[in-house]
Amino acid sequence: MNKPRSFGFERFSGLYLWAFLIIMFSIWVPKLFPTTSTLYSVAAERSIAAILALGVLVPLIGGTFDLAIGATANLVTLSTVLMITHHFNIVVAIVLGILIGTVIGTVNGFIVVKLKVGSFIATLGMASILAATQVIVTNNRQPRIPVNSAWSSFTQTKVFGFQIVVMYMLVIALVLWWALSRTPAGRYLYAIGSSPEAARLSGVRVDFYTWISLISSGTIAGIAGVLYASKSGPGLTYGPSLLLPAFAATFLGSTQFLPGRYNVWGSVLAIFVLATGVKGLQLVTDVVWLDQMFSGVALIAAVAFALGRQRSVEERKRKQLVRADAHP
Amino acid sequence: MVPAVSQASSTSSSTAPAPVLRVRSLTKTFVGGRALDAVSLEIGAGEVHALLGENGSGKSTLIKILAGYHRPDPGGSVEIGGRDLTFGSAHSSYEIGARFVHQDLGLIESESIIDNLAFGPGYPTRWGTIRSKLAAERASRAVQDMDLDIDPRRAVASLSPAQKTGVAVARALLADEGSPVHLLVLDEPTARLPDDEVEHLLGIVRAVSRRGIGVLYVTHRLDEVFQIAGRASVLRDGLKIASEPVAALTRESLLHHLLGSAIESSRRSLATKSRVGEPTLKVANVSSEVLRNVSVEVYPGEIVGIAGITGSGRDALCSTLFGARPRDHGTVTVGHQELAPMRPDLTIAQNVAYVPAERKLHGCFLDLSARENIGIANLKDFWRRPSLSRSAETGIARKWFERFGVRPAEAINQPMSSFSGGNQQKVVFGKWFQRLPALFLLDEPTQGVDVGAKAELHNALFDAAQSGAAILMSSSDVDELVATCDRVIVLRSGRVVDTLEGEQITVHSLTRAALGVDDAADTPLSNETVVAR
Repeated sequence: MNKPRSFGFERFSGLYLWAFLIIMFSIWVPKLFPTTSTLYSVAAERSIAAILALGVLVPLIGGTFDLAIGATANLVTLSTVLMITHHFNIVVAIVLGILIGTVIGTVNGFIVVKLKVGSFIATLGMASILAATQVIVTNNRQPRIPVNSAWSSFTQTKVFGFQIVVMYMLVIALVLWWALSRTPAGRYLYAIGSSPEAARLSGVRVDFYTWISLISSGTIAGIAGVLYASKSGPGLTYGPSLLLPAFAATFLGSTQFLPGRYNVWGSVLAIFVLATGVKGLQLVTDVVWLDQMFSGVALIAAVAFALGRQRSVEERKRKQLVRADAHP
Repeated sequence: MVPAVSQASSTSSSTAPAPVLRVRSLTKTFVGGRALDAVSLEIGAGEVHALLGENGSGKSTLIKILAGYHRPDPGGSVEIGGRDLTFGSAHSSYEIGARFVHQDLGLIESESIIDNLAFGPGYPTRWGTIRSKLAAERASRAVQDMDLDIDPRRAVASLSPAQKTGVAVARALLADEGSPVHLLVLDEPTARLPDDEVEHLLGIVRAVSRRGIGVLYVTHRLDEVFQIAGRASVLRDGLKIASEPVAALTRESLLHHLLGSAIESSRRSLATKSRVGEPTLKVANVSSEVLRNVSVEVYPGEIVGIAGITGSGRDALCSTLFGARPRDHGTVTVGHQELAPMRPDLTIAQNVAYVPAERKLHGCFLDLSARENIGIANLKDFWRRPSLSRSAETGIARKWFERFGVRPAEAINQPMSSFSGGNQQKVVFGKWFQRLPALFLLDEPTQGVDVGAKAELHNALFDAAQSGAAILMSSSDVDELVATCDRVIVLRSGRVVDTLEGEQITVHSLTRAALGVDDAADTPLSNETVVAR
């Protein structure tokens, strides 16, 4: 942006909120909250969620929903665990795991682009199919946790005190930031999200890029699934439970940094602001429903907030236009 | 171009005893400057009063004051039907008898006329149940009052654009015992109307004026002024430049009032061009849903127009050639390359530009910035491996903002939605001009654009033609075709029925050809159906 913008509440409200939460909980639970172990554990715990949010982000920019992303990640996790317990080479297992995600994304793209099924329905259906597949693959039994130190150190090696999975997340975020805001593909996606027909008439291959965006989200879900398998083992239901927080984060993120646009750093920030709130409250109370409650409230609040903001911006623009109309 | 003789003077009554609208010395100052400067205006009962002015002249400020939206600076007054308007109160504006029909008619397309007329004032009911017969009677009376002969049970979506406007007017004028209507403000009622519908709308306006209601008729189209208005006022830079009986005005004098300094006529020099070399565009036997065997060639440096009434295929030809719409038969060749149907990306790669008619829906990205709107078709111009260069992109956007005089000039990072129609279209032009296209396909290139911006856009096209581009453009604005084209093809029922060249291109000849009125077998048609525009 060329014009200096105000450092007002609006664009950076997430940062202010984050600071507020940190200060509040530091005062509230001074022994437990402001510690490096809290920092490390929140960062590691939420990295997978952040990666999934980034996966949701890519197609969402182009106006396409990927609701299968949680189920994709979960299926990949279990498949990868099974491969490891069957003594696959670790690298082979990782690559195959990610490829499963890519294939699922490709199929999603086929359904949306070629069969012209709306992405919402297409991926909702796919999520159900994947959940069924998961039962078939695992025989409805939780696989054993693989005992393999090389496998677990793939995500749990410490770097500056953080588990390395945090670094993976940051690398993915960096790559996506570049791809979405600094390459033609990203421009095309934003254009498609703004108006598919105007994009088509500007020479953008709308179908191609929509398909690519779903392949990307599938692949990112694959990566998240593999990382989860290494970090936490074979969870049976974690994937779908991360879908909602992922959308909450991207919607909330669209109010940050570049208001009105889904963007990488806004989404990442949103994940960790929410995580900080949840963590703090968990230290204060021991109720188990906090996380879910937080995600639901955050999703609705985020969308309401984003829409409200949009309305007020439009209103202001309209008034500006009236004024500009009056003075050329 | 001789203006049509004012035929509406009979409906004007500048000698009317008490004016229905009396605006005295209105001034409105915004933070940045003065939008209206001591403007006074009077409209008599039954008078149709045209209000003209470029974007930014203060027109919309005046209307918004009348509507009770803006509060003017202290000192002025507005009287409607003899009662004072309480400034800033929409309620007061309604109560003393002012009604407004905006460009966006605010009708619910899927519902019937009856329902649309009842949504505002409510349905007549008995015991809480709708008395449908009474509602239908009311609706059909209201519609007949507009000189419209349509079944009020029809859905609004099935009506022609002029009929829709008629329904909106009928709704605005619905009888309300508490506040009889004195003044109807029509804000650019014909901006979105196809040519052949304008006459119907004018009929509606006449019906309103016969009821003794004063009409403030805002328009960009000069011809309408001469057809419908008794008097015309021109605003420029917040000042009322003129307020004269239309009989005393000419097209030239109106333009002069509008633009101030002597305008250079944007009429193209009619130096007959010899068509040299290969045609840039060769269209052979193209057929589609609406087109039948259309063939046309456009040579470098040539501007070819497409005329025709709505439904003639006029508005489908450019989009079909470009690949925005399906093409069933025929070949389209640009240079030596045949174009694939429905592949805008490949067409653009052959150096073709396309400006669609629906600017807001298909022509631009409203929530993206002007910079990004220009950039989207030109990414390779600022791709510096491995990133898109923001500074190079900004430079390109600046260049076109300057070249076309886009206002506000520093707003390249503002979303498209914050620009006025004319400026949006300039940005769209910039996007394509950056590619130096060999062929321009344009649908309604200056629709909803004020007179000044229109001339600038035309000049841009002349420059492009000068430097060898071929241009094919459709327009429902016959004046525009006359002012810009070297050659005009006329479509009727999807076929090319006529081609006019050079001096043959006049408003009269184009209108006749489009309507299929044969000069030889000229039967006197009633004024209502054919008016030489």
